[in-house]
Amino acid sequence: MFVGPAVISLAVIGIAPLIYAAYTSFHFFNLTKLKHVEFIGLQNYAFVLTDGVFWQAIGRTFTVLGMALPVQVALGLVIALVLHQPGLTLLKTLARLGLVLPMATTYAVVGLLGQVMFNQKFGVVNQLIGFLGVDPVNWIGNSFNAFAMVIFWDVWQWTPFVALILLAGLTTVPGEIEEAAKLETKSWLTVLRYVQLPFLVPGLVAILILRTADTLKLFDMVFTLTRGGPGSSTELISLMIQRVGFRAFDQGLASAQAIILLAITIVLSQLYIKFFYREV
Amino acid sequence: MKLKSLARSLALATALTFGSMSGGHAWSLEEAAKPYAGTTVDVVFLLRPGYEAIEAMLPEFEKQTGIKINIIKHPYENALGEQVRDFVAGGDLDAALIDLVWIGNFAENDWVVPIDKFTSNAELADPELDMDDFFPLVLNAFGGWNGKLYGLPLDNYSGLLFYNKCMLKEAGFDGPPKTWQELKDVYGPKLTGNGKFAYALQSKRNETQSADSFARVLWPFGGSFLDKDFKSNLLSPESQAGLKFRQELLPIMPEGIVAYDHAETVNGFAQGDIAMITEWSAFYSSVKDSKTSKVADCVGIAPEPSGPAGRKPALGGFSLAVASQADEKEQAAAYLFIQWATSKANAKEYLERGGVPARKSVYELPGIAEKFDFVPALVESWQDGVPEFRPRFAEWPEITEIVQEWGTKIMLGEVSTEEGAKELGTRMEAVLEKAGYYDGKKPLAQ
Repeated sequence: MFVGPAVISLAVIGIAPLIYAAYTSFHFFNLTKLKHVEFIGLQNYAFVLTDGVFWQAIGRTFTVLGMALPVQVALGLVIALVLHQPGLTLLKTLARLGLVLPMATTYAVVGLLGQVMFNQKFGVVNQLIGFLGVDPVNWIGNSFNAFAMVIFWDVWQWTPFVALILLAGLTTVPGEIEEAAKLETKSWLTVLRYVQLPFLVPGLVAILILRTADTLKLFDMVFTLTRGGPGSSTELISLMIQRVGFRAFDQGLASAQAIILLAITIVLSQLYIKFFYREV
Repeated sequence: MKLKSLARSLALATALTFGSMSGGHAWSLEEAAKPYAGTTVDVVFLLRPGYEAIEAMLPEFEKQTGIKINIIKHPYENALGEQVRDFVAGGDLDAALIDLVWIGNFAENDWVVPIDKFTSNAELADPELDMDDFFPLVLNAFGGWNGKLYGLPLDNYSGLLFYNKCMLKEAGFDGPPKTWQELKDVYGPKLTGNGKFAYALQSKRNETQSADSFARVLWPFGGSFLDKDFKSNLLSPESQAGLKFRQELLPIMPEGIVAYDHAETVNGFAQGDIAMITEWSAFYSSVKDSKTSKVADCVGIAPEPSGPAGRKPALGGFSLAVASQADEKEQAAAYLFIQWATSKANAKEYLERGGVPARKSVYELPGIAEKFDFVPALVESWQDGVPEFRPRFAEWPEITEIVQEWGTKIMLGEVSTEEGAKELGTRMEAVLEKAGYYDGKKPLAQ
């Protein structure tokens, strides 16, 4: 009885749209051609699976994940280790509060900030590097730079999250074990590898899963920053689905794309569970 | 004295009596709107000068009619999506704001009502409506589809060449270039350098890429999107010449032009960094305003340069039409609003407040061409524009996405103009085939 409302709301906002998306994915279903809706079987799926543009978008999405995540973990670990040092309590509290700020910033605002700061002509970044004698860089209008921008802002926004989770992991290491280890060896690396790391693994798995999910649905920041451009250089999978569904209005095709993405996500989460979860 | 005033009141009384006897009564907006006082008309407006102008004039209309106009503002990029969702879901919009490339879509879906339903209704139609006073190209392209008229043109654009007279003079030019070739070869090298650029062609990957950038180089060179059988014409020598020309413009334009939208381009011009831009007439007020423009005193306006196939300048703009989903009262009220907003009588005030009306008569008024120096160029452009500058059929939203993607790839040099045009053509034809143009299910109208 107590789970009733939860089940009902899940059915209404989660399951019903999913079923409807599955239904539309088997139809020619264009919002501007609702007079011509027809069942077309697997045609939408066949189109998506053989569409190079779709796979390029998937590739870009995983490239963002593959490049941002290691940086986030490395930087996050450094921050966590620094904050884990004894002493300077007030400063550390302030730093911890400061870490929450990027995470608390709305994605869309991050993208808009990026657009303003990295504007080629009026942006503060080009002004700053101008003081060093560097020519203005075309951050957003160049395919490579724009892609790097997306990764940069993802790292900026989510490194603190990684740091906080790892910091929480570090605090679970029993004090006596850590002290004993520090008496045994002077190398912090050894302490990290053999004493602290095992306690960090659950956190790292959580980070991997959450960051993968976040990146697959990363939309607002990129949309406001580059709108997927220039060309398609920053068109991640979520942007592509939105474009097909709400700008070309082909809801059938967009649903097929979304369902294939769902299948990829399910396979991926099974792999994560298989390879990482058991070790924990 | 007494006699005079008596005579006057007699004359007035006679006029009133006979006036009301002949033809029932003279039409007036107040009278026509009486049954609809208190009705609210929901309409989408854009965040552009032409809409601010109407908004500023609205209190007068609301006072006269008692009709309330509820404006929902969107940036251009969201306006189509918002309206499509509203119409599909049977929402609240009582009037549709139609970009010329949306008209096929809106008309084929019966989201908008043909205007003759109202113009043939003597209670509603203003006898001064005077359809012949609209520029025919603009009226048909913005408001008409397949021989039927749906909307009346409200916010009207033609592409114009904005040039910085001071920069041109300094470089030794007396006037703007007449042809695209001249712009690139003669003006380009002399005006580019030291952080300044001769020209900027806004090419951001959205409708700007298709309308302002891609289509702009197709037509003057004799190219087009489609041939007469609705197959891709992008590989024709003429279309290719246009697309290649665009690539050759890159050295005289700012780096990263594919990230330039209207704002960046107009701003670059207004800051004095770019000598020439081809922009919509609607941006006239922002480059001439010394609050937003450093070059307000240097602005010169000319029609767009010509190519080998003539001028064929960019054509764009919006009409307002009555939405089918509105009930009878709302439809009538919406029509009265549209008729008022696009009327001959209001055209001058609309122009003075920053709008660009499509009424011929207003541009013939004394003093207008002198005060608004874009007028001669605009009127000239509306004589030789192409209505299908961008095809106006229902498939355009799908096709523009393809043009935006591959057009940008071409500009970035990721694919050659031939490869890009081939890919674009294949994808475009797939959309048209699915729509039924090739098996005769749909007339070849664009």
